[in-house]
Amino acid sequence: MSRREILRAGAVGAAAVTVPAALSACGGASAVRRATAEVTSAENPFAAIFGVDEAQIRGALSELTARGADQAELFFQASRSTSILYQDGIVSRASGAVDLGVGLRCVVGEQTGYAYTEELTAEAMRGAARTASTIARGSAVVAPQRFVTREPAQDRYAIEVPWRDVGVGDKLPIVQRAAELARAADPSIVKVDVSWADAESRVLIADMHGRMVFDERPMTRLYVTVTAERGGERQTNRANIAARRGLDFYTEAALAEVVQQAVDRTMILFEARRPPAGEMPVVLAAGASGILLHEAIGHGMEADFNRKRISIYADMIGRQVAEPFVTIVDDGTLEHERGALNVDDEGQDAERTVLVDRGRLVSYLHDGISSRTYGTGATGSGRRQSFRHPPMPRMRCTTMENGPHTRDEIIGSVRRGILAETFTNGQVEIGAGDYTFYIKNGYLIEDGRLTAPIKDVNIIGTGPETLRRISMVADDSRLDTGGWTCGKRGQSVPVSIGIPTVLVSQLTVGGEGDAA
Amino acid sequence: MLRELQRRVADAIQMAREAGADDVFASATRSRGVEVEVRDGEVEKLQESVSRGLSLRLYVDGRYATYRTSDLRPAPLRAFVRDAVAMTRALERDPFRVIVDPALYADRPTDDLQLADPAIDRIDGDTRLAWCMTMSERARRHERLVSATVGVSDSRSIVASASSNGFSGHHERTSHWRGGSVTLREDGDARPAGSFWAGARHLEDVPDAAAVGERALAEATRRLGAVQGPTRRTTMVVEPRAAGRLLHALLGPASAGAFSQERSFWRGREGERVVSERLQLIDDPLIVRGLGSRHYDGEGISARRLPIVEGGRLVNLYVDTYYGRKIERAPTTGGSSNLTVGLGARGLDAIVADVGEGYLVTSWLGGNSDATTGDFSMGLRGHLIERGQRAGAVQEMNITGNLLELFAGLTETGDDPWPYSSTRAPTLVFEGVQFSGA
Repeated sequence: MSRREILRAGAVGAAAVTVPAALSACGGASAVRRATAEVTSAENPFAAIFGVDEAQIRGALSELTARGADQAELFFQASRSTSILYQDGIVSRASGAVDLGVGLRCVVGEQTGYAYTEELTAEAMRGAARTASTIARGSAVVAPQRFVTREPAQDRYAIEVPWRDVGVGDKLPIVQRAAELARAADPSIVKVDVSWADAESRVLIADMHGRMVFDERPMTRLYVTVTAERGGERQTNRANIAARRGLDFYTEAALAEVVQQAVDRTMILFEARRPPAGEMPVVLAAGASGILLHEAIGHGMEADFNRKRISIYADMIGRQVAEPFVTIVDDGTLEHERGALNVDDEGQDAERTVLVDRGRLVSYLHDGISSRTYGTGATGSGRRQSFRHPPMPRMRCTTMENGPHTRDEIIGSVRRGILAETFTNGQVEIGAGDYTFYIKNGYLIEDGRLTAPIKDVNIIGTGPETLRRISMVADDSRLDTGGWTCGKRGQSVPVSIGIPTVLVSQLTVGGEGDAA
Repeated sequence: MLRELQRRVADAIQMAREAGADDVFASATRSRGVEVEVRDGEVEKLQESVSRGLSLRLYVDGRYATYRTSDLRPAPLRAFVRDAVAMTRALERDPFRVIVDPALYADRPTDDLQLADPAIDRIDGDTRLAWCMTMSERARRHERLVSATVGVSDSRSIVASASSNGFSGHHERTSHWRGGSVTLREDGDARPAGSFWAGARHLEDVPDAAAVGERALAEATRRLGAVQGPTRRTTMVVEPRAAGRLLHALLGPASAGAFSQERSFWRGREGERVVSERLQLIDDPLIVRGLGSRHYDGEGISARRLPIVEGGRLVNLYVDTYYGRKIERAPTTGGSSNLTVGLGARGLDAIVADVGEGYLVTSWLGGNSDATTGDFSMGLRGHLIERGQRAGAVQEMNITGNLLELFAGLTETGDDPWPYSSTRAPTLVFEGVQFSGA
């Protein structure tokens, strides 16, 4: 229940979670959407997955709304995941998980009643519905007489063969190949771990207005860890790639690249040292430095914190918060990216949400509850870890658009500071606005040139102040290819982050010794 | 209920054996959880659910894999077990992988650990709500109040386990947590927040609702007027609630797994006095009502007290069966239970008075450490210590260093272990710590 939200690189075991995304106005307005292949649920295609029929869903929904509701839905989920570990020269272990259940939510105003069951019988669902409905004190809402089932407007992560049909025999050669490349990369490498994860989550959302939407969400990740030894000293580092893709994601080139990243990031540690401690200019390299956006502004723009008035950004909409060349977006529509979604976990279509438009704060990230509070459109940001959790506003792929500068100009402008390149994790305090992220690799910048490699320093700053201090933005924006997992109030969801090369004129660097 | 779980475990073992598994360790779980959250005097969330699951560790023809499912319908479950055995068979043979030596199941402690409290089952919805309203009322008594969210959460779980080589056990645990977060208005846009949560296996071990609400408000009040303190090398006092994180970073790599993978700064330093001789750390699974207490560990190994650090020396590792075989060590336990710390003679206030100048850390923000080298850097929030007093609040600062060097500079431990965690850390005092700030 803490308000500190965390982001971490490749949390092992978290790959299998659910995902969603989407936008649209809530209530009546969401009925106006693009025409899609609609079928009546008389021929419910999901009976095979969840073993439920329309009458059972209707029964549970009428129980769920028996005391009134402003929003109510059933969130069915069937997920499965596999992970495989290569260690000490062999594929030595695997794990598999199957999860099945339904979450039932009844919302009245800003109040939520929630229950779930893993037993998908009419009786168990009605029992859970009764529990969730106790939040309400009003009169019954008429349950839908028929359901309209639709496919998401767009499939942003269609894959050729679903993960449930890919055998372990097809995965092992990929894991072994990555390990082989890593072991051969440098004679000082003493240990190589390769960890594989694939997952799929199939969700069916049925709401009190009779809308049903189905989404199938694949995910995969490959994680390479390398330990090298030189003269008795050991160093370890990692790299990973993740996407909503199938087996064909793992081309030889992709494997070679992630292995090279892991090896390079490890070898440089033998020469790396700590930068000086204190405040200095920080250049954020394009890509994974998007962790800055996630922590310094993204969480603070999630509308639940703002409707409760506890975010430092609660009174700042419409205000100029950054230079006019700063535009920050949270985008659920980027195909195959880890944070991509077709629909969110409330069934809203995914969208691209501009948080900061040319320096001006323009929109929060909304779920159904906050969009009603603010009387604005939903942004398709209502997400949850699984059917065991109610949704809340979450980020998807958070990035910054290109700016007017170049990377060379930016580095050249710094007399004494650091360049941050790779990261492991970050965290933020929503109300006070202080946030941190941990730099694993980077460089010292002296007189406009990269000099010594650096390692293991935490950066700390305050969100709005950092936004003001973004003094240069380059033209090289890109999304990080690694798999990031965002934690908020005990729920983990997969996200993506990206950014162009950026200069923050002053940040506090957790180095050693005094800054010059 | 227990009978049903035991039958489920026995059935699963039989199914796996019939599908070709040589050895199986199975566990079945059932848990019930209730949560109430109140924001500014109004119910924000009510949640209640019963959950179940089955997990399997399979040893098939020298290969190994683990599985879990919540889909316990008979036909899908049979297919799940069959697929699990087949998938395990597709892996590579691992000579180090064997099921636990059944000798380690013997001499299981029989202490009454009191891990389940019947009083927790008897709490009704109105009582939870009344506690929340009391906490909320106390937490909101401040002129700068923006918002206060408080909550109560209760749970009970039963787990039954058995193995194909003779293990059988079960345990029942309850917990009750209560607490909240309070946000206050600062001049400008900042809205500093503080929170306090208390939890225990028994209801009577948790402070009353009014006290919890007041403490949450006090935590927020302490954050008012926080500034960035100066960059310097000085003494660090860490409050009990925050001290556990440092101990976890220190002991995380004290495992057979980390040794075997050459990813531990403790390698080659066992038995040497490398950290302060004041540091005494014991893994103690037998604390009555302890949040980490247990009669056996995740592999079924019978629980016993395990000294980890004695007089500044690493004397034992966390050793599970698999990595123990890799580094040729007898298994101790693969996972921590409760961690107890050798206590000093006085509490936080007396320590601060004596330290005179430095920083007091009340919580961490982000940061990380490298298990291979021990290098760390962490964000923090806390207070300046001036003239022996807790002075103004600080934030936006980091500490940076190496864990072994940090703990070599440990000068004192308090007499005040944090009760609401399996890590019972007291106040810790470190000399010569590098802080970065303004």
